[in-house]
Amino acid sequence: MTTTTGRTDETRPGLNAPAGPTGWTRFSEWLDRHSGQFFITPAVVMILIFAIFPLVASLMLAFTRARIGAGGFKFRFAGLQNFEKQFFGSEQFHFLGTFSAFSLLAWAVMAATTAGIVWWLYRYASTKFSWFGFVGRLITAALIFGIVLMFSATLFSGSPFGTLGVTLFYVFVGCAIQFAIGLGLAFLCSQKIRGRGFFRVVFFLPLMITPIGVGYAFRMLADTSKGPFAPLWQAVGLGDFTWVANAWTARMFIVVADSWQWIPFVFIILLAALENVPRDFVEAAEVDGASGWQIFSDITWPQIMPVAATVMLIRVIEAFKIVDLPNIMTAGGPGIATESMTLHSFFAWRSFDLGQSSAIAYLLLFVTVVVCVSFFNLVVLGRIRQS
Amino acid sequence: MTATGHDLSSRGLWQRLFEPPSINRMAPGTFITVYALLLVWTLVVLFPVYWVLITSFKLPLDVASGPYFLPWVDFTPDLHAWKALFVDDWEDTLKAYSNSIIIALASTALSVLVGSMAAYGLARVQYKPKLGSILIFVAATIAAIIAVVRYGVEWWLAGLVALAVFYFLVLALSRHFKTTLANGDILFWIISQRILAPIVVVVPIYIMFQRVGQLDTHQAIILTYAVINLPIVVWLMYDFFTSIPVDLEESAQLDGATRIMTFTEIVLPLSRAGLAATTLLVSILSWNEYLLALFLSTSKAQTMPILVAGMAAGERGVLWWTMCVTIIVMIVPVVFMAIVLQRFISKGVLLGAVKG
Amino acid sequence: MTHNPLKALLAGAAGVATAVAMAAPTVAQDYSGITVNILTRPGPVIAGRMAERGEEFTEMTGAEIRVDEVPFAELFQKVLTDWATGTNSIDVGVFASGWATELAAADLLEDLTPYVEADDKIDIDDIAPYFREFNQKIAGQVKLITLDGDFQMAYYRTDIFDEYGLEPPRTWDEYLANAAAVHGKDFNGDGEPDFGSCMFKKRNAQSYFAVMSFAAAYVQSKGTGEGIFFDTETMKPKVNNEAWIKAFEIYKATGEYGPPDEINHDVGDTRALLQAGRCAQMIDWGDVGPLSIDPEGELIRNKMGAVIMPGTTEVLDEESGELVACDAERCPHAIDGINYAPFAAFGGWSGAINKNADPKVKEAAYAFLSYMNQAAQSNVDVTMGWTGYNPYRNSQLENLEPWIEAGFTEEAASNYLGAIKASLNNPNMASDLKIPGAAQYTGVILDRELARFLAGDITAEQAVANIEEGWEEITDDFGRDEQAEIYRLSLGITNQ
Repeated sequence: MTTTTGRTDETRPGLNAPAGPTGWTRFSEWLDRHSGQFFITPAVVMILIFAIFPLVASLMLAFTRARIGAGGFKFRFAGLQNFEKQFFGSEQFHFLGTFSAFSLLAWAVMAATTAGIVWWLYRYASTKFSWFGFVGRLITAALIFGIVLMFSATLFSGSPFGTLGVTLFYVFVGCAIQFAIGLGLAFLCSQKIRGRGFFRVVFFLPLMITPIGVGYAFRMLADTSKGPFAPLWQAVGLGDFTWVANAWTARMFIVVADSWQWIPFVFIILLAALENVPRDFVEAAEVDGASGWQIFSDITWPQIMPVAATVMLIRVIEAFKIVDLPNIMTAGGPGIATESMTLHSFFAWRSFDLGQSSAIAYLLLFVTVVVCVSFFNLVVLGRIRQS
Repeated sequence: MTATGHDLSSRGLWQRLFEPPSINRMAPGTFITVYALLLVWTLVVLFPVYWVLITSFKLPLDVASGPYFLPWVDFTPDLHAWKALFVDDWEDTLKAYSNSIIIALASTALSVLVGSMAAYGLARVQYKPKLGSILIFVAATIAAIIAVVRYGVEWWLAGLVALAVFYFLVLALSRHFKTTLANGDILFWIISQRILAPIVVVVPIYIMFQRVGQLDTHQAIILTYAVINLPIVVWLMYDFFTSIPVDLEESAQLDGATRIMTFTEIVLPLSRAGLAATTLLVSILSWNEYLLALFLSTSKAQTMPILVAGMAAGERGVLWWTMCVTIIVMIVPVVFMAIVLQRFISKGVLLGAVKG
Repeated sequence: MTHNPLKALLAGAAGVATAVAMAAPTVAQDYSGITVNILTRPGPVIAGRMAERGEEFTEMTGAEIRVDEVPFAELFQKVLTDWATGTNSIDVGVFASGWATELAAADLLEDLTPYVEADDKIDIDDIAPYFREFNQKIAGQVKLITLDGDFQMAYYRTDIFDEYGLEPPRTWDEYLANAAAVHGKDFNGDGEPDFGSCMFKKRNAQSYFAVMSFAAAYVQSKGTGEGIFFDTETMKPKVNNEAWIKAFEIYKATGEYGPPDEINHDVGDTRALLQAGRCAQMIDWGDVGPLSIDPEGELIRNKMGAVIMPGTTEVLDEESGELVACDAERCPHAIDGINYAPFAAFGGWSGAINKNADPKVKEAAYAFLSYMNQAAQSNVDVTMGWTGYNPYRNSQLENLEPWIEAGFTEEAASNYLGAIKASLNNPNMASDLKIPGAAQYTGVILDRELARFLAGDITAEQAVANIEEGWEEITDDFGRDEQAEIYRLSLGITNQ
């Protein structure tokens, strides 16, 4: 086709015109062919560059003892010393807890757990067996067994447990509360109510406050003599009670502050997911007479389940790293009752015990990875396979 | 008759309260419960914020001598804390504030852009990276980093050499590599970056930036934050992208659109809700981050959280009043951003697109 | 003060002479074009005054003084990272002198001895001997310039003590008895019961300093050189004994007469309570004096008395690990049979110069630190509460005028300064731990076991035994002989 514009050159081959498609189209075609790489490479390269050195450096640190010497830091290779200390050495009470003789409850729990694990592994081995899967399950089982053993020797037998137990408490109890309330709020906000914009912004407010700010704000709030609830405590007769002096109330308060701060995270993502559920399915079900609960469990939940799993996975990973709140609200006290593993690592780091700091961080990494992989494989993939 | 076809007159009390009278209206019982719960939580959220707000107007004596709830009724509001922050220390406050805004915006933009692209790739393309190639890349990067940190080689030189070595080794050896990884592995590796406690990587990252002479600059912190938040962007956007039916994109590609065009013109608009939520979250994470900002900055690039922390450990105790001012002041831009973005976290236009 | 005409005349003459000397420029050098980067904690405490003096210094010499601030908790880490990795963006660090040992061990501090010797304005002999010898010097070399003198004293409400007929506490038993006598009464008229004793007990804050103050007099009696932490020969910890157990228990016992959530109070919370008029007694650094004349200190203005840290009538017998009664031989420095050992907790804010800074910058930096340290400036600064600087020069303790001008009554000023003088002149002043890893010994191990003891998780016996075990581990890790050598040097013991 000829046109009277200056573009005829492009459609007729000529000495000065490129044969076939122009350079730009060739480039965009090449780009399209390799678009897969193009999309993912920037992210991967950025992460690799930033991740490798810190990872390698800190891993090496975990096997050394560091001290300040002439010209800077001096490192002495110390093998597994930093790790051994946590399990068998002078830091055992700090990391695992103070062991005491098993009580009846402890024996019962241990027996039940062992039975459960053995049965679970056996079931897997006898149905669908793969070495890779079996080793993975074995590791998970070993971790569960170790944790239950730790709790049996400490909590269930009446003696205090250490930073590992405290961290697990924060993660499991905290995340459960955050998921329940976050989902509930998202569900409420996705109903046909007026002023949803208002609620969305207001409910999101806690996450906007810097974590240090949240810690100090809640310290103020929890003050039983000067805080806003002081009249309330006194009216109930708890005027002299101080939550900081009791291990469990201190832990609960940190969970309260942590939940207050992080529920918006769960809320906003689940709200976005709920808003994405196609309206017509829900309406059709309503017309058919389905109850609210049925609609939720049969239509809504399957739709948002992947997002819910993702948001909880992210939340669990972040929860394992909790450090600012225990540091500010109680400095890990009373004693070591509210000290999370990251706080434990932070205290070591501040006194330049870099080796121990890294070792604890890597122990935490191990626990987090096993928990997350288990969660992901067993819960998420399991559900996906089911549906 | 109600919309559900029941006979109105014979409903019991429970049904009258909780059955919706029509599709678009809530039953009265439901209405009350929903609003009551929302109101309760609004109070739970707003009360601490209110307390922080009035504390910023209190004198030290007011704070130390028991709870005072209402300004002008219980105590006389005083502007000394506000004055301290905005008049006496005006320069420091302004610097920290503008640094925080610049860093948060830039790092969020970078992170959401790169992360969404990666998430889209992972959602639509089956990657099969060879384990061997990856190991060579890691080894080359480690070698380059050791060269720069310990032997003082120029970082761009080490980078180029490492790249060349990697390229040639892969060319030569790749056909021997059999094990490949899948998308799930890549996703897991990405989120595992969030697992290691930041305290352990602070000093290595400090050293990395020191060697390239970028300490106490905006770009160092922006880049670091962008990388740190990438995993969250990738994971969240991955979920939102996979929930969009592939048919849309396939029909577009049949019409001749490139993948990039599909991404920008079809997929992104459809995932507005997820994009808005993710942007909001990531900007907050950058806005509030403390430890890395503290170490990567000394004076020029200090951010607001450092200012907040500075009012904490004092020989006069926590300066509650000025700290509350800083907290309130830090909330304002974020609230603004949330108000702007929350409109997008609303019913998607997916309905029309799918049906059509 | 009795009016002696001759004395007044001499004082007047001395004043005129000083004024003339002060009128002459204290620094004559020209440092224009040089910028000195100082890193310290957030102001206005410490940093605020430094910035103001920095402007004066700029007018005199042309050097620009930049004061950057970093949260207190991470201040030392930042300085160390900056200097140890060779970034060198910081020229001067102003921090606790106790932290300097680590930096000196890493050879990162400039040796200031030649600077001091060439400095004719600094009047180094005016600085109280303890600060001059133990604070500024590390291994015999001057590495720090004192800007603030830190040690702890006991304080009490003079009006309440008068009302109830109590005497300032000389021993810990007296302290507890006083607290018991007034605990629960209302001191500030707000209808709420107040406290006989306010003590900071929060973990990872300052509680370990307080317990060391309690322990010092039980452990040390023969002078600063004895030390309270380790045996100077073998480096064996001197902590698993009755002296420290008693200190722990008394420290906990003060909680009976304190606020219910005392276990979560750091020094700031305690001072807030004090300023609200709710404490009858407390122990603290020197800041309480200026705090009481602050605008916020209305309720306690001129009502705070100070006294040397309470002592003991029994001391540690090293061989048996038990407490034995004081006698002339055991307690040569006892006053009225009571052994005092004021504890120089934390050391005091001091300036140290980066060894790897530019030589001209180092010169200017030293000139500025000297300027701040000189009596002409320092004597004014220590009277102002908000600066955070506490007295460390003898001349600051003799002349009451600046204090009275600042707001003290004559009686309050002489009481406050008298207590400081008594402490500074006491030859049995106890030194803070100044060896590599000090933060691990005290800030981590001691602090943690103390917290567990206060929480009731372990007994005092278990606590001190755990501390001994933890300390031995660190000593072995760092090298026992090296640590012993440095410990001896820090106590001023040489040729051993």
